[in-house]
Amino acid sequence: MSVSRDDFSIAFRSALLQRGASQKFSILSLIIIAVIIFFLDVYGFAVVKTARGVINDLVYRVSYLASTPTRMFPSLNSEIASHFNLKKENEELKKVIEKYKALELNLEYLTNENQNLKKVLNAENISNVSNIILAKVLVDRNSPFLKSIIVNKGSKEGIEKGMPVTKDNNLVGRVVETNYLSSRVLLLNDLNSRIPVTLDADNSQAILSGGGTSKPKLDYLPEDYNFTGEVNVFASGKDGIFNSGTPIGKTTIDGEVDLFVDPNQLSFVTVILKKNEEKF
Amino acid sequence: MAKINILDKIYTTGPLILLYYLSISEVDANLENLLDIFSINLQIIIIYFWIIKRPSLMGTGHIFVAGLINDVVMGFPLGISSLSYLLVCFVGNYVRNKSVNTTLASDWFTFFIALIFSNLLFFALINNFSDLAIPFSKIGYNTFFTLFLFPIFWFLFKIYQMSFIGGHDA
Repeated sequence: MSVSRDDFSIAFRSALLQRGASQKFSILSLIIIAVIIFFLDVYGFAVVKTARGVINDLVYRVSYLASTPTRMFPSLNSEIASHFNLKKENEELKKVIEKYKALELNLEYLTNENQNLKKVLNAENISNVSNIILAKVLVDRNSPFLKSIIVNKGSKEGIEKGMPVTKDNNLVGRVVETNYLSSRVLLLNDLNSRIPVTLDADNSQAILSGGGTSKPKLDYLPEDYNFTGEVNVFASGKDGIFNSGTPIGKTTIDGEVDLFVDPNQLSFVTVILKKNEEKF
Repeated sequence: MAKINILDKIYTTGPLILLYYLSISEVDANLENLLDIFSINLQIIIIYFWIIKRPSLMGTGHIFVAGLINDVVMGFPLGISSLSYLLVCFVGNYVRNKSVNTTLASDWFTFFIALIFSNLLFFALINNFSDLAIPFSKIGYNTFFTLFLFPIFWFLFKIYQMSFIGGHDA
């Protein structure tokens, strides 16, 4: 019995403390460092906040670059292919064709981007540009648990935590984290998203709760409320964050809301800057 | 000879590059458009497999940094993914110390233990110490699909190991 206990303790200690040939740190030391970092971050120490902001900006940029191959694969592929086909005349012609194809794809990409930007500008009716910031989505990686996006504008442009984010005048979410050059936007379908809304049919008030799925659901409706489809849902503005009347989506018979903006298809969004409160 | 050495180095750093790439890029294994509840944690499978088979390819320092990067990209509190990855490392190290010869079945069973520990720690820390709230069902689905798909990735990594790195385990 004592031998087996010794065995256990040796294997346990070895797993926790041993460093192999390429292991420069023991697991125990790294666990301790990770715990310290976690609690410093959770309890919001100023130094960690600043460091986190810098790391966030850096990682988001690198993340954007790292995912470039998936976006630019067609043009890169053709360039690499043409690079290997320089010697033969026939293949040189192929190279030219491939190059033009790549340019065409690039042009198509730029044209689409331009059209999207124009659409956004028209749809948002940006007459007072100082109140609105147009931002590009850098990272829209959906975690299994959280639904959020990273945009390329941060506190440098005046974005603050809590500001509403829209696309084509429809509500998309709100800013939950700002860095100097980037911000994180919590989407309406995130598990942690709760928004006071109003329904246009009989002006009923409810809370729109994200569930991590594509369609958030309506909570806290009047007890005798019967769900009907195709009822418009707007932000009620009771939380003082969202402008009242901002369109969100349409109800379904199951009590869910079909969002006007697909959270998985965002490329440009607008951040509504908070208006300065007038002092009397 | 030098060319072979460079190729060897590229092959041996492959798993680590994949781990970093998954942590930093937009590529993810969350196919919510196909199935609402589907999500897997590929990083944990990579870490566990290579810690069991070839720990020299998967430095704990790298795992720690990959966890930090994942936290930043995902918006979790810093250090939480590192902790859960390191826990998987610890279970992997323990299993490697205690066992002589491993099979898919034994790896699968011990991976279940590592995954449960890791996800429970993640769930407990995120729900008790941060502003975020994640229901247990989400973690449960993630655990289930990760465990369920482990053998597929086990075979894929085994083929990679035998083809490019060398058949014998550490």
